[in-house]
Amino acid sequence: MNKFEILDISGDVGIKAFGKDIKEAFVHAALGMFSLITDLETIQVKKAIDVTVESDSLDGLIVSWLNELIFHFDTYGFIGRKIEVNEFTPTLTLPSPRRVFDPRGEGKGEGEVDKIASQPTYKIKASIRGEEFDQQRHEGRLLIKAATYHKLKIEKKHGMFEIRVIFDI
Amino acid sequence: MTLEKLRRIDNTKIEVPLDYKPGMRVKGIIYVDTVLEQELEPQSVEQVANVATLPGIMKSSMAMPDVHTGYGFTIGGVAAFDLKEGIVSPGGVGYDINCGVRLLKSNFKKDEVIPKIKDLVTMLYSEIPSGVGSKGKIRLKSEDERRLLLKGARWAVEQGFGDAGDLEKMESNGCIDGADPSLISDKAYERGKAQQGTLGSGNHFLEVQYVDEIYDEHAANNLGLFHDQITVMIHTGSRGFGHQVCTDFIQVMAKAASKYKIELPDRELACAPFGSAEAQDYLAAMKAAANYAWANRQCIMHWTREAFMKVFRISQGKLGMTLIYDVAHNIAKVEEHQVNGKTMKLVVHRKGATRAFPPGHPELPEIYRHIGQPVLIPGDMGRASFVLLGTEKAMQETFGSTCHGAGRVMSRHQAVRMAKGRAIWREMEDKGIIVMAAGRGTLAEEMSEAYKDISNVVDVVHNAGISKKVARLRPIGVIKG
Repeated sequence: MNKFEILDISGDVGIKAFGKDIKEAFVHAALGMFSLITDLETIQVKKAIDVTVESDSLDGLIVSWLNELIFHFDTYGFIGRKIEVNEFTPTLTLPSPRRVFDPRGEGKGEGEVDKIASQPTYKIKASIRGEEFDQQRHEGRLLIKAATYHKLKIEKKHGMFEIRVIFDI
Repeated sequence: MTLEKLRRIDNTKIEVPLDYKPGMRVKGIIYVDTVLEQELEPQSVEQVANVATLPGIMKSSMAMPDVHTGYGFTIGGVAAFDLKEGIVSPGGVGYDINCGVRLLKSNFKKDEVIPKIKDLVTMLYSEIPSGVGSKGKIRLKSEDERRLLLKGARWAVEQGFGDAGDLEKMESNGCIDGADPSLISDKAYERGKAQQGTLGSGNHFLEVQYVDEIYDEHAANNLGLFHDQITVMIHTGSRGFGHQVCTDFIQVMAKAASKYKIELPDRELACAPFGSAEAQDYLAAMKAAANYAWANRQCIMHWTREAFMKVFRISQGKLGMTLIYDVAHNIAKVEEHQVNGKTMKLVVHRKGATRAFPPGHPELPEIYRHIGQPVLIPGDMGRASFVLLGTEKAMQETFGSTCHGAGRVMSRHQAVRMAKGRAIWREMEDKGIIVMAAGRGTLAEEMSEAYKDISNVVDVVHNAGISKKVARLRPIGVIKG
């Protein structure tokens, strides 16, 4: 089974990631994205980071998950090669207002809380092992600005989960 | 797809009629001649039509001749919205907020620089951080970053990068009022700390060029351009800082669109009514990112001057390297425009489109007010770039806007496949262009064949009268990320 494929679209680049369950598809999407940045084979396991992302939709979760990893790469140079998902929940918990970017703090308003509480919340908690990117040792492939909702698709096909996501580069 | 519904208006533009798709409030107009029409992607036409469905859109949903498919909005798109009924959308600006271009002139002629071009390119490459995973030379503390977001290029000048005389020769004087640093997420602050003064990667570049053709002597004189003169073009934006601002607000806007019951044909068009808190917050954050980008190009210009001074061992006075102009080509701005004979304030989204204000416009610096706004259009690294001027016709037809570059015709992988077995750097060197790039794949992805011919693109906007050609610039040295 292929873990992921690179999608070739004029002006864009994307990935199709596969998994026997949704967790695995999320992991493969992340590895597929890292492979756009550099050669995965050259990444050594030297440190680990923990990442937790929540969203009110599954689409939102994959976009936020990948954007979180882009943030860690673009800010701290961290790039991963091994990913372990410790928690993946479609639950009904209330997202912490601090995690949701909410410049005016409106999410803390009473009406908003009720609305959020009644929505299912998707959450992924993972530990990613890898190292800091080094221009001397690692090939620089693409600079990814963001994961987008453009033509985003998460579907079940032939008993497998398949995620398609396009990046802005 | 229903491309047969498109109707040619004249040699330079086609219409996407109101019945192209349900929900269109205005028609679409795409500036292409019959040659570029062949390269028009059906998906781009669909996106022009999608934008035409957004509330409060005025006149028409437009695309420039360098149009190609983007996220929600096309690249090369122009859309203006009424402040009462209309919306603001981060997708109409793009992830690289205030990606833009600046052009520097010098006292050098090309024959004086060519013998040392390899040394110069090497020096520029070592002075200006570029490429995937590169680290900048500037480390911003939170307090510095906040000041930078408020002051834009002026911040850079205060740090000793360039001089105050540069500031008047930039769109918005290198700083848009109304930036609010308190609306910036911690993540954007973090991401922006080490990226000020970096070129980035992909299609961003720094080029040493020379003026090889002048179409308008009078205008060229006024801009200080002469035949064979060495110029430098810098193309970059707000880097990871701006990308994070856009990422943050796409989430905010997705919620806002459903809150305000705005029907979206595409999630990347997520938007909010102009007067809403979400839209105003986005604009204030976008302005901060725009200012980050102006400071970025100012720092890079300063190191460019230093590199020239070191390689040629001359003073700044002798080098005479000063700014011609600096334009933003990914931005949303509130501007005054005429609609049906009435002056109205509109929020104009330009995503991969350049402002092109006419002579006499009050927003232009004094020195250029009589000729019109300089418009800087970068081409691919092997062909050419252009200097144009804004026109009255642009003001009437396109909310004072024109194209921004060549626009891709080939996907990156197609380009890489086509470049297999070829040494692009050597092909470029044979043409007299010295290239240095951080990424191995960058040169293949960015080779000339991957882009539309910039001359065709520029001819369309020139012939349409929405800007006019002044000069063509040819590259002799290129730095890529």
